[in-house]
Amino acid sequence: MGLIRNSPKTKGGTGMKKSILFVAFVAFVFGIGVWSQTGHAADTIKVGIVDTYTGPATSFTQDTLDGFKLAVEKINAKGGVLGKKLEYTTRDEKFKPDIGLAMAKELVMKEKVDVLAGTINSGTALAVSDFAKKEKMPFFVFYSKSEKIIGEKGHKYVFNMNENTEMAGRAAAFALAKKPYVKYWIAGDDYEYGHAIAEAVWKNLQKQNPKVQKIGESWWKLGEADFTPYITQIMAAKPDFIIVATGGSGMVNFQKAAKATGLVQKIPFYQHTANELGTLLPQGKDAPEGVWGTSNYFFYYPETTANKAFADDFKKAYNRYPKASAFVGYMTAQFIAEGYKKAGKVNTEAFIKALEGLSLDSPLGPLAIRACDHQLELPTYWGVTKKDPKYDFLISGDIQVIAPKDYMPTCQEVLSLRK
Amino acid sequence: MDAIGILNQAFVGLSRTVILFIVSSGLSLILGVLRIPNVAHGSLYMIGAFMAFTLSKLFGGGNLGFWMALIGAPCAVALISLAAERGIFQHLYEREHLMLILLTFAFSLVFGDLVKIIWGGEYKSVPVPYMFQGFVPLFGGLPFPLYNIFLLACGPIIAILLWLLVNKTKIGKIARAAAVDMEMVGAVGINVSWVFASVFVIGCSLAGLGGVLVAPTVSVTLGMDHTLIMEAFLIVIMGGLGNIWGALLGALIFGLTQSMGILVWPQFGIIFPYLAVVVVLLFRPTGLLKSTW
Repeated sequence: MGLIRNSPKTKGGTGMKKSILFVAFVAFVFGIGVWSQTGHAADTIKVGIVDTYTGPATSFTQDTLDGFKLAVEKINAKGGVLGKKLEYTTRDEKFKPDIGLAMAKELVMKEKVDVLAGTINSGTALAVSDFAKKEKMPFFVFYSKSEKIIGEKGHKYVFNMNENTEMAGRAAAFALAKKPYVKYWIAGDDYEYGHAIAEAVWKNLQKQNPKVQKIGESWWKLGEADFTPYITQIMAAKPDFIIVATGGSGMVNFQKAAKATGLVQKIPFYQHTANELGTLLPQGKDAPEGVWGTSNYFFYYPETTANKAFADDFKKAYNRYPKASAFVGYMTAQFIAEGYKKAGKVNTEAFIKALEGLSLDSPLGPLAIRACDHQLELPTYWGVTKKDPKYDFLISGDIQVIAPKDYMPTCQEVLSLRK
Repeated sequence: MDAIGILNQAFVGLSRTVILFIVSSGLSLILGVLRIPNVAHGSLYMIGAFMAFTLSKLFGGGNLGFWMALIGAPCAVALISLAAERGIFQHLYEREHLMLILLTFAFSLVFGDLVKIIWGGEYKSVPVPYMFQGFVPLFGGLPFPLYNIFLLACGPIIAILLWLLVNKTKIGKIARAAAVDMEMVGAVGINVSWVFASVFVIGCSLAGLGGVLVAPTVSVTLGMDHTLIMEAFLIVIMGGLGNIWGALLGALIFGLTQSMGILVWPQFGIIFPYLAVVVVLLFRPTGLLKSTW
């Protein structure tokens, strides 16, 4: 008995059993991914979407996906693209660039997608963009705001479908330069997005109005829950105006604290997307009035039939109003479809060429992808939060349209960043 | 900065301390008696906040909604934690801490996804109850939010209730004894299992209560558990593992160094609480007060 128990054969047996179990476990874990895989037929054009579908970012990414879906359904109902069906498949990158990159690779290698799209996470966007460049794979950036995407790290295969921090900063500076404020305070999330927005506003504001001076700065950690101590300190310093560089849930947190402390009545402040639905909807009627912001899409402005039609369609499909991120998803799907139509064939090089300078009708009027840097030319809406009897949340009032030509960095400026 | 400004800033820091204390005292209680480093404690705080959203909406969002949330949400969290304790944790008290950390971490992921399934990914906002809306000029006319004053009042009440629970009730006494020597308590004929369950539920409800109290001041969102659990663990470690007065002291240090740090150096205000943790642990590696471990 002892002999048998110690014989290498038996040992090998249990080892084998273990490894079979292990393989079964691995197959189970990864099988979930493979399971949903559909064969890539030649009669489809497939878009692989990598985005964050867990955590606080979901508030934006779900809208992007739903906007994208809405457009895809419309496109397919009208016969698809070049006689092919437009399809998409999604991956959750959990706000982690390494996971996002692995998923993009999987989408390209295994799912054989024709186009990559996605992500609210700048880190992931840059990682996937680098991969797309090597693989010569078109990549549409949905909602990450890093100016590096089309600037420093820009290339032929990447397209930016939303504004970036530099654009937002220039637009805000364009509007703020006309205001009488002199003493500014800068405050924000202590991570890349916060610093990038704040710096873009400040740098451009100084250029346009040399009289402004910065009297102080505060930086809090990303995800800071309680802004009260920061606000009381800023109020004591008595600046004329505060540039608040928060993102995500920090937008709401800051506005709530600004209301509770009475900051909003005392010192005016600006936040990029302060007047956007994503910031105002969760607060309902309790959001503070009088906060300045910039945004690139409102479902209620401009009051055109095209915009109303999109907002109504979206509301009918998902029972909520579309946010700016929904608009991005909606337009991206259309640019993909029209790009292939214009190219006349499913060929990446022809597709890229077709997209350069392509202009489409959108809910906001004609929108074009700039040929030189692949940036979508979006108008920016400057405005201030206010109550409206028509809605049970605040909307943007005093809307001032800042045209792309007034605030977008020039082709030369962007291309000079690429080395 | 004048004395008035400093005083104002200190009071703002104290109201933050209240939330931190309530949540970390629960964490510390569980650590001390059950020896579970409950990473999912933050998730229960998040669930408390989301429950507060639902209950406050259900009861019309006004004062009534807030009070119902204040009672109902911790109760809901208590039920969830009771199910978790009876279903899973009670079988695992003897396991090593690493395993318990992994298990509770797994719970935090599961809870995170459950919250997403139930409430969706949208940010939620709980309105400040009407009676606490607005602000009062407290020191030299500097505005101080009324809700923060309410928080300041909550802190001592919770602390006194906890003190009574631990020192004056039978369950508190048994729990303290069990923390020192569980086998001995069992040997004298006390049903330790249910004492543990009660302590676990009380500790978790405190997380839920913290979630309700913080809800009107922030956006209720997925991921709000992550920041908090880090801070709560640091506070508990700083105060001494398992010592709820240590949690109070830790929360005070954390809240005050933060608000004072902002006053001194607003660009780098974040680092002060963490610096305090480092200093404390350098000189008192086991925490400020006596650890029960």
